[in-house]
Amino acid sequence: MSKIMIVEDNENIKKELIEFLTRYGYDAYAPNDYENIVKIALEDEPNLILLDINLPYYDGYYICREIRKEKDIPIIIVTSRDSEMDEIMSMNLGADDFITKPYNTQILLARIAAVLRRVTGNNSIHEIVEHKGLKLNVTNGSVSFNGNNIDLTKNELKILLCLLKNKGGIVSREDLMDYLWNSDLYVDDNTLSVNVTRLRKKLCEIGFSDGIETKRGLGYILL
Amino acid sequence: MKIKDYFASKVPYLIMNLIIYTLTLVIMSIAKTPSIIMFIIFLIWFCPLIIYIIIDFFAKKKFYDDIIGILDKLDKKYLLPEVIKSPNYYEGKILYEVLSDCNRNMHEHVNFYKHLQSEYREYIETWVHEIKTPISSSKLIIENSEGKEKNALGDEIRKIEDYINQALYYSRSTDVSNDYIVREFEIKEAVKEAIRNNRRDFINKKISVDIDRVSGTVITDIKWIKFIINQIIINSIKYSRSKNAMIRVSTTLGKDNLILAIEDNGIGIPQSDVNRVFDKGFTGENGRKYGKSTGIGLYLCKKLSDKLGIGIHLSSVEGEGTRVNIIFPISDFTNIR
Repeated sequence: MSKIMIVEDNENIKKELIEFLTRYGYDAYAPNDYENIVKIALEDEPNLILLDINLPYYDGYYICREIRKEKDIPIIIVTSRDSEMDEIMSMNLGADDFITKPYNTQILLARIAAVLRRVTGNNSIHEIVEHKGLKLNVTNGSVSFNGNNIDLTKNELKILLCLLKNKGGIVSREDLMDYLWNSDLYVDDNTLSVNVTRLRKKLCEIGFSDGIETKRGLGYILL
Repeated sequence: MKIKDYFASKVPYLIMNLIIYTLTLVIMSIAKTPSIIMFIIFLIWFCPLIIYIIIDFFAKKKFYDDIIGILDKLDKKYLLPEVIKSPNYYEGKILYEVLSDCNRNMHEHVNFYKHLQSEYREYIETWVHEIKTPISSSKLIIENSEGKEKNALGDEIRKIEDYINQALYYSRSTDVSNDYIVREFEIKEAVKEAIRNNRRDFINKKISVDIDRVSGTVITDIKWIKFIINQIIINSIKYSRSKNAMIRVSTTLGKDNLILAIEDNGIGIPQSDVNRVFDKGFTGENGRKYGKSTGIGLYLCKKLSDKLGIGIHLSSVEGEGTRVNIIFPISDFTNIR
């Protein structure tokens, strides 16, 4: 599990961000000792640091520079200052990415995943999501069960991924569409129904039948 | 300055002198003065007078012709007192002093307002950055919460965000400094983000989107372009038809430009309003019918486009749809590779 250190002085954002990142499978924590942030970061060696710019004691630029002097811990700068100058400065100081508040949470996740993938260099290692023996390979868009393998289309992949991320919970059609549109797949109501039907058929083909259940008026659930 | 007009302005003065001379003549004829003396007195009286008027004319003519000549050539006419030389006669000097004084005062006045405006702009920028923190935490709270209010609240927060951005860009657009950074980027990136930003409206209103024919890169400020595209898409959604609504975005590469076209099949704009849509505060027929229009969105698009040096053009057929073309110039000059 990737360890993410959040350096942020706003209590609400801190709390919610930890909750949010934990839900998506990261080990997120946020130290309160802003005076010794650099020391803490160097000792802890998290896999990634989410760094705000406006902080007590030292600003984010200083912290970024100091950490960079010692170690190559990936840093994503998250700030509400959105001038191009801030972005250029962040990059010059060695930050790996720069996101402006208020961010789209899906994009934040994507950026975190991208940076982690880049630094660990395991581009070739496939990201696999598993559920009751059903293995979804996100990188090449295929799904396997009991040794049977089948390729999914972009839409089907995203639908299954969304259901897998909310396993055990009902995902409404509305949320499913929101998730797809957020991934730049512009589907309408009919297409979604067709895609879900096809996905069901494909899962059936590899032996994972009755996996997706329709809850009338509510949405879909992955059993 | 014409000598005829100048003499005309001196006529009362000359008539005054003639009247006094005539009175003197009457007194002299009573005293039986010979005519030759009367004539000599006439010459002694009027020759210096005429000579004085002529000399005075040329001194003034030089000064005023200078002023008028310079004023014609000046781009900023209020700079006049800085450019002209102080005249060498008394009235001119007074006028010169007065002009300089007015000018100095005007500068102080203008600077006062410039200062006020830049202070206000700085305040807006800080305010926007401050308000982004509570918005960020609200978004995270919504993301982490459950329940049917979740989506509705998210939509409202997104609208607040759009309005805040509008305020930020409004204050940026009125400023004289150009604080944008130009770089090359995929135009599709900006289009996708604008659609992602408005995805919930697309889904709820069942509007289909087609961006398959968008390609190419442009060199300009990506944030400003995203803002412009977002404003146009918000309008397309706002004035969409209720059934089978669609928005199509496409690009056409010309010889010296790349045109990004955003088309919809919405309610369109009446012919009488089309030419005024970019005017500040113009809401038109649709604004009256559908409400909630401030007439700021497209005005800002136009203003920001002008500052970036890109073209923006809107055409519409009432009842059939609207098409907005954003024209990015491409030339050897803008090609930095």
